[in-house]
Amino acid sequence: MNRKHKSDLVILFTTLGLMALGLIVIYAIGPMRANVLNTTYGTDYGPNDFFLGQLRSVALSLVAFFLAFKVIPYKYIQKFAKPLLIFALVLSALLWILSLNHSPIVKCELGECRWFQIGGTSFQPAEILKITLVVYLADFLARKREEGKIGDLKEFWLPLVIVCGLSLGLVVIAQGDLGTGVALMAIIFGMLLIAKVPKWQYLLMLTIVLVGAVGSVALSSHRMERVTAWFTTLTGGESTDSTYHIDNAMLAIGAGGFTGVGIGNSVQATGYLPESINDSVFAIMGETFGFVGLFLVITVFCIMLLRMLKVADHTPDDNNRFLIIGVFSWTLAQVVVNIMAMTALVPVTGITLPLLSYGGTSMIFIAFAIGLVLQLSCYTSREGIKNENISSGGRQRGPHYSSRRRHS
Amino acid sequence: MRRLKILKYITLGAFAIIVVRLFFIQIIQHDFWVAKANEQHTLLETITAKRGEIYMMDGDQPTAVVLNQSAYQIIIDPAVTPKDEIKNALEKYAKEYITADLDEVYNTEGLRYYIVAKNVPYTNASKIADEEIKNVWLKEGNKRVYPEGEMGSTILGFVNSDGLGQYGVEGSLNNLLTGKDGLLKSISDVNNVALSIGKDNIKIPAEDGKNVVLSVDRGLEKGVEEVLAEAINSTAATNAAALVMNPRNGEVLAMTALPGYNPGDYGNVKDASVYLNQVTEVPYEPASIFKNFVFSAAINEGKMTADTTYFNTPSTEVDGNTIWNAEQRAKLNNQNLTMRDALYWSLNVGSIQALKFLGDNPNEITAEGRERLYHYYNDKFRLGHATGIELIEAEGFIWDPHAEIYGLNAAYANMTFGQNLSATMIQTATAFSSVVNGGVWRTPSIVKGTLEDDKTIKPLENYEKIEDQILTPETSATMRSLLVNNRSYKARAGIDKPGYDVGGKSGTAQVIVDGAYDESMSNLVGSYIGFVAPSGEMPEYVIMVKMWGEGKALSGGEAQNLFDTLSNYVIDYLKVKPKGV
Repeated sequence: MNRKHKSDLVILFTTLGLMALGLIVIYAIGPMRANVLNTTYGTDYGPNDFFLGQLRSVALSLVAFFLAFKVIPYKYIQKFAKPLLIFALVLSALLWILSLNHSPIVKCELGECRWFQIGGTSFQPAEILKITLVVYLADFLARKREEGKIGDLKEFWLPLVIVCGLSLGLVVIAQGDLGTGVALMAIIFGMLLIAKVPKWQYLLMLTIVLVGAVGSVALSSHRMERVTAWFTTLTGGESTDSTYHIDNAMLAIGAGGFTGVGIGNSVQATGYLPESINDSVFAIMGETFGFVGLFLVITVFCIMLLRMLKVADHTPDDNNRFLIIGVFSWTLAQVVVNIMAMTALVPVTGITLPLLSYGGTSMIFIAFAIGLVLQLSCYTSREGIKNENISSGGRQRGPHYSSRRRHS
Repeated sequence: MRRLKILKYITLGAFAIIVVRLFFIQIIQHDFWVAKANEQHTLLETITAKRGEIYMMDGDQPTAVVLNQSAYQIIIDPAVTPKDEIKNALEKYAKEYITADLDEVYNTEGLRYYIVAKNVPYTNASKIADEEIKNVWLKEGNKRVYPEGEMGSTILGFVNSDGLGQYGVEGSLNNLLTGKDGLLKSISDVNNVALSIGKDNIKIPAEDGKNVVLSVDRGLEKGVEEVLAEAINSTAATNAAALVMNPRNGEVLAMTALPGYNPGDYGNVKDASVYLNQVTEVPYEPASIFKNFVFSAAINEGKMTADTTYFNTPSTEVDGNTIWNAEQRAKLNNQNLTMRDALYWSLNVGSIQALKFLGDNPNEITAEGRERLYHYYNDKFRLGHATGIELIEAEGFIWDPHAEIYGLNAAYANMTFGQNLSATMIQTATAFSSVVNGGVWRTPSIVKGTLEDDKTIKPLENYEKIEDQILTPETSATMRSLLVNNRSYKARAGIDKPGYDVGGKSGTAQVIVDGAYDESMSNLVGSYIGFVAPSGEMPEYVIMVKMWGEGKALSGGEAQNLFDTLSNYVIDYLKVKPKGV
């Protein structure tokens, strides 16, 4: 392993910057959210409750972030990759079983039971599943690669399909959470791509999964409704109850125009746009900050993601590199699917925007994951990984990457 | 290609698509979305103007007889409001105002925001508010309150459930009372609560309706209604109407028709005809009361005097019709009588004679006579025309003197004793006022004006007040003496108090049943009109009464008895100073 040097400051500051932005947006629209919920559902939220909630999430996320970044060495986590994943799968399975029995510690919203509720706090086991799957796959793929078993039907594909199938099944079928399902698939296929799986096997598997995904959408009336709604909005058809969410997200973004209506002036956040502080926060930001603001947010995400790729590119250790790609794929999937849903490019799936959406568990785990990437960014080498290239054999060297080394 | 580069291109590609898409939505389609947003966010709300109150006079002080009371609608959200709590609260504090079946409301799926009680008074509503039940709203509205109950219903009218004034002053002055609603245009949240962030918020405040002061004296109105109710109880009449006005200025002091109704509970009536103002909206044949008008015309034109004589026969022939006197005493028949006697005995042959005099031929009705009578009835006394009082009015009917009908002279003969024409009570009383007040026809009025913030009363605009000297003061004086003479036996009997000049004239009208006058005399409308004056002075009050009932024979005599009671009541109530006291 390379000697330790300074971490990647770009990833560090983009992460902190996005968290701060999320905090500002929730500060501006939290009171409206509280007001809408209070008048519509008779809840009793104070005007600053959502801001304080987000503040708490950010604080916890920062703790998780620095634990992963500075305190817990990845190699220790790596050792427990398997038990951690089993723990996560058991939690998800437990949630499913308890939800069938209408247990009081299971929280359901709109008919989908995705949360454990213990005391005043709730958390989503799917988020644990995402990070543990990334850790497990990194370990699994690195081991198989070392053993030369990548692509082997019995040694490689069989355990992989079982683990991934179980994870997807628990999330998509048992919890009805297609959003997390999409993120899991992105994680799996992102990591497989980098793990030198033979091209034909990769494409075959991708095809099988995509066909399966389309099938599961077509067979579920509630998912089909979302697809129809999306198609209606995309083609400018008549508004219906199903298109309400997308229509209002588009309306918020469109009304924002070039520079936006300014902080605190969002009207769509006063109850017109569903999930305004969670999944739809991007649309509210579009209304508030306009094209200029969204362009900046996208640019920040883009810089962060490309930076992760560069870190991966310069990480010689397979396990570490696979982990970075797992986190990258996870972040990319959530950012792109969330924003594309808000702009009617894909159907609404119910997925949070990393670091910006209101929602504790999701932010804490992604912060933890990015923290791990930052930890690993301290061990990059000066050059790209030459033996990573498995395809057409073009250029061998990556772009020059100057990480500042500590020469001591 | 290196596989990491694939991920890099996927990333860049995805973000490029998103940026292009955002450019399309936010820059190119911006105006479209702004228009949609305005459509969705703009709340247009009417600010309801407060309806004006209505006052009557109590001596010289206005006193409110129609008020507004804050009343509340109670609205719940069945999805959130706890059923047991709201049910208990409603049954405890607003049981009689509940308008919805709570079980049904709660069993209806998807129901939000439901009105469960209406017209709840403030005290009850505030107790429910104090319970602090989740998602219970009170919506303030106004309820029209008529604290005097049925009193004055003929004049007041009511306000229907759409807030529209109907009948009476509520109807005729609806625009003035309603005021002008304001408008609130604002950006609002999803629950239609106005937000302060809108830049183009508009608020046009409501202009509240005017408070209207009537010339009607509340105490007199009440007393007149009591006297009328007693008259209905003690005679065959089922209906009675009365009007008291000041002939010196045309102001109405009391106006009523019984049976009335409670304007606060206007739906609870057996027959919608009670809403009609019998004094201003129902033309009828006032009968012999009209003899005053043909006499005034003939005297004013110098064609006869009170002492002019004529040969009175039991009946007379006009256009082949025999017209009889109602009074057939031997001492009157086939005698030379003065016109004074003719009016005293209310002889139809005498009033036809007045028309003949008017036409310059004592032996027959002439075209000139018809023209002159028409000129007086139609142009001077304005009978058959709306008077211009601030109420809903009906017209009436007077035959044209050259109407191409068979028996026009007979029609005109009938018109001399107030049949074969129609006029309302207010038209008749206004014309009668000019007969006794020195000859000036004045537009009657029932509204003194609007009560302004500084407590002054400002006369209404848009109501033309006519003053027209239609008779000479001498004619008027002669007529007063004739009318007082009519009641000479009442004075002798002590019914008319000494120190007062009380004059009057009765009328008994046959009613048209199935297109012809009912000759059986079993269906008669009795009327009486008169004035009260301190002896030798100008009259202060003109009083008109009418009594009727379907299938009932009410004579002018019964109306006269009612007048006797009323004139004395008015003297006592309004303390008309007798001469020499």
